[in-house]
Amino acid sequence: MLNKTTLFIILFGAILSIKAQDCTYSIQGRVLDHGTQFPLCHVNILVNEQSKGTSTDEQGNFHIGNLCAGEFHVLFSHIGCQQKKIHLNLDKDTTLSINLSHTTSFLGTIDLDAERNHAQNHSQVSINRKSIEDNPTKNISGLIENETGVHLIKNGSGISKPVVHGLYGNRLTIINNGIVQSGQQWGSDHGPEIDPFSSNKITVIKGTSAIKYGGGNLGSVLLIESKKILPEPHLHGQINYAYESNGRGNNLNIQLEKHASNLAWRINGTLKKSGDKKSSSYFLNNTGSNEANFSVQLEKSWNDQLFIDFYGSSFNTQLGVLRGAHIGNLTDLEEALIRDIPFYTETKFSYDIDAPKQKVSHHLAKIDATYIINDEQQVQLILGVQSNHRKEYDVRRSGRSDIPALSLLQNTFNSEIKYSYELKQNWKLRMGNQTIITDNTNQPETGILPLIPDYISVKSGLYTTLSRRKNQQHFNLGVRYDNEQQKIANISTGFPKKIIRHQNNYDNISLLASYKFNLSKKQTLSINTGFASRNPGINELFSNGVHQGVSSFEEGNVNLNTEKAIKNTFEYQWLPNTNFTFNALLYHQYFKDYIFLKPQDEMKLTIRGAFPFYRYEQTNASISGIDLSTQFTLAHSLFGKLKYSYLHGEDITNKKPLVYTPPNSLYWSLKYQRNHSIKLSKNTSAEALEIEINNKIVFKQNNLLEEQDFTAPPNTYSLFGMRASTRLTFPEYQISCFAKVENLFNTPYRDYLNKQRYFSDDIGISISLGMNFKF
Amino acid sequence: MKTKKSLLTSLALAALIFSSCEKDNPVIPNEEELITTVKYTLTPTEGEAVTLSFIDLDGDGAGEPTKNQVTLKANQTYTGSLELLNESETPAESITEEIEEESEEHQFFFESELVSFEYKDNDADGDPVGLNTLLTTGEAGTGTIKITLRHEPNKSAEGVSSGNITNAGGETDIEVTFNIHVE
Repeated sequence: MLNKTTLFIILFGAILSIKAQDCTYSIQGRVLDHGTQFPLCHVNILVNEQSKGTSTDEQGNFHIGNLCAGEFHVLFSHIGCQQKKIHLNLDKDTTLSINLSHTTSFLGTIDLDAERNHAQNHSQVSINRKSIEDNPTKNISGLIENETGVHLIKNGSGISKPVVHGLYGNRLTIINNGIVQSGQQWGSDHGPEIDPFSSNKITVIKGTSAIKYGGGNLGSVLLIESKKILPEPHLHGQINYAYESNGRGNNLNIQLEKHASNLAWRINGTLKKSGDKKSSSYFLNNTGSNEANFSVQLEKSWNDQLFIDFYGSSFNTQLGVLRGAHIGNLTDLEEALIRDIPFYTETKFSYDIDAPKQKVSHHLAKIDATYIINDEQQVQLILGVQSNHRKEYDVRRSGRSDIPALSLLQNTFNSEIKYSYELKQNWKLRMGNQTIITDNTNQPETGILPLIPDYISVKSGLYTTLSRRKNQQHFNLGVRYDNEQQKIANISTGFPKKIIRHQNNYDNISLLASYKFNLSKKQTLSINTGFASRNPGINELFSNGVHQGVSSFEEGNVNLNTEKAIKNTFEYQWLPNTNFTFNALLYHQYFKDYIFLKPQDEMKLTIRGAFPFYRYEQTNASISGIDLSTQFTLAHSLFGKLKYSYLHGEDITNKKPLVYTPPNSLYWSLKYQRNHSIKLSKNTSAEALEIEINNKIVFKQNNLLEEQDFTAPPNTYSLFGMRASTRLTFPEYQISCFAKVENLFNTPYRDYLNKQRYFSDDIGISISLGMNFKF
Repeated sequence: MKTKKSLLTSLALAALIFSSCEKDNPVIPNEEELITTVKYTLTPTEGEAVTLSFIDLDGDGAGEPTKNQVTLKANQTYTGSLELLNESETPAESITEEIEEESEEHQFFFESELVSFEYKDNDADGDPVGLNTLLTTGEAGTGTIKITLRHEPNKSAEGVSSGNITNAGGETDIEVTFNIHVE
């Protein structure tokens, strides 16, 4: 249970006495598990510069005496936890209260944002920095893949999109460092353009508490956060490198940070390159990818009252799409469906990326100013700009494969003002306003009629929440109002072409109520209910033409109404002791006017043949499910995890299953952790030796009628994985190494939510080796 | 506080200005790659030539395509010549030339119950293209001719050079079916 951990440290030093002599000071304190508030024993504590150390007792207490005055670092490490350094300037005896927060998948954890003292009472799972460093080959979606209630929609191996409780794309908001991520999120083959290395924590909020986040989501939110720069005056940094055998991928990341007296800064750079992936028996041609990212974070504060942060990032990627998945019409698709090995499969590996491919760049800059008015009140202003340029290339005639077939530039301006007020008797009031201005323009270079039109959208929202936390009871009420205006300039599809203008104005209301309380000392119950609405997406209103990937003719519908949803969640947590945890989350979401692509009775005839015809229509639908997870200690050093996600989607009006809902899945892992470090020399030791075996089973999606897809959903598959890691600690630096095998038995499989399943198997065995150097 | 207020005001103002302005007219792309028209001209050894044509001026748009039906003579030999056009442009652009320039990457396939086909042209590798063909009709009857253009087919796969589409692969650029009558 301890492998996915963050150290979350709250420091409140207390002066015990002031002494004049050197080397007579002490530090003492207590270490607690943040999630359970149980004391943590055997936490190793080391004062680096003075070679003094101890470990916590059964009550989590520690004491180190005879310390000399001056600046030094204190290291805290616990089984499976990421080692954490605190910088101290010791001139008095000091008491430290340390919270080690095991942000395992289901122990409720605390936001790293300004509201850190207010535990959230909605269901969420988090991935911490250690998981990001342990999986340097994964993209942002891949990192949360094994969490309960989370699935991925993929297009091949490189492009993936998160799905939370069955919702994705426009129905799921992604908040990147406090800003709603812009871009063409509607596309199921458009992955979020975020470098996981530039973040420290990825949180999936599965409840209904998305009131304070804009973006028009229907409940769930994906939060990507980078942490505050530690008050550490020396230059620190890390280098990550990993090699992945499948695709022969190389991944390099460098991060540097320093909390200088006048400015704290952190820079981060990532380079990735990989070639053709391989299924269990053949190469998947043209599935390579390149990535180059950079980010910079600056922080400055005045009198502990005004805090100004700057964050800028640039994400640039090029992604190949399986050549054999590029088809012209339904005949081609039908031929592909009966083939064992896709067309264009070659016997040799290549790093080349040709059409079909995607080239996407996303740049973000934001300024965040927090002003603490007094102990009760604070106000925060966030301003951000984003620029997203997506180019997609098809195989075309006469050298036009080098000209994008889709080229969309989206510029976004975000502003947000937040205010919070600690009222009497533990009440807390929060208010905020968000404005998002989006300017979306097709670049005329394509020579093809655009898939979605040019538009400007102005969306402005106001929210307020009232919460109270007292006696282990947590209560929260919220209301939000949004207005969205869209101005669209569309090119008609008829002949001759003309420009048709549309104007849409939407008003949306969101409501939320949640209550969390302790059934007993070790059992918690949390109930959430929320109402939210989502305006029809531009693609749902205006798309008109052949969707190449699945060769269907899709027609938008300008008469679509706002989609409305009520979501109820019911979460039970049982933490009887540190050796066992259990969490169950039940949810039900009812949609009125759920927007979906409905197959029409006719076929659409074009010069390329007849295409199945789909039109965006609305229905009433429901999605319900259960997320179960448990963690347990089997023996002294053996830890287990078990997770299960069940989801059922139904089109209530038409009495049919909802298409494209995630299949049920089961995940388990067993991990051996060596509790004690091995001394290699006086100052060097090997720590945190871990060996893990894991297994993921994805069941066949049986909730689907034969007529709802081109082919039957893929069968149940089971993938095994293994990993081993250790950490070498030297006085000035540490080196972590890992070896990992995915799809251990090279099992051929296809996944229901992977669009490439019509054409090829998913990826086969892959071995990764990685190293992390930290100083 | 004062600066905050003025900042708020200017933000609100910016939003207002933005919301009152219209999106610029989009540039209507020059769809030079579009194929709107397929013409298959069949010339008998003696007598009048007939032309099968399929026209869809708005490409994948909402308008229905138009196509005609022809009558062929039984047990007759015709030379077939294909022409592809983009008639959404004025003057109409010849796509046939693009196919000729990239003949190694293209091949037409012909399927019919009433007519047999023979390729009468080659690309640089000596493989058939199908812009020029020889047709031989059989007994009288009613049926169809299906013409398919594949981009980047595997011309060396089994049966492909003799006109069998089964192993060709590639993407379909054109797939049109004409009703014919042989008498």
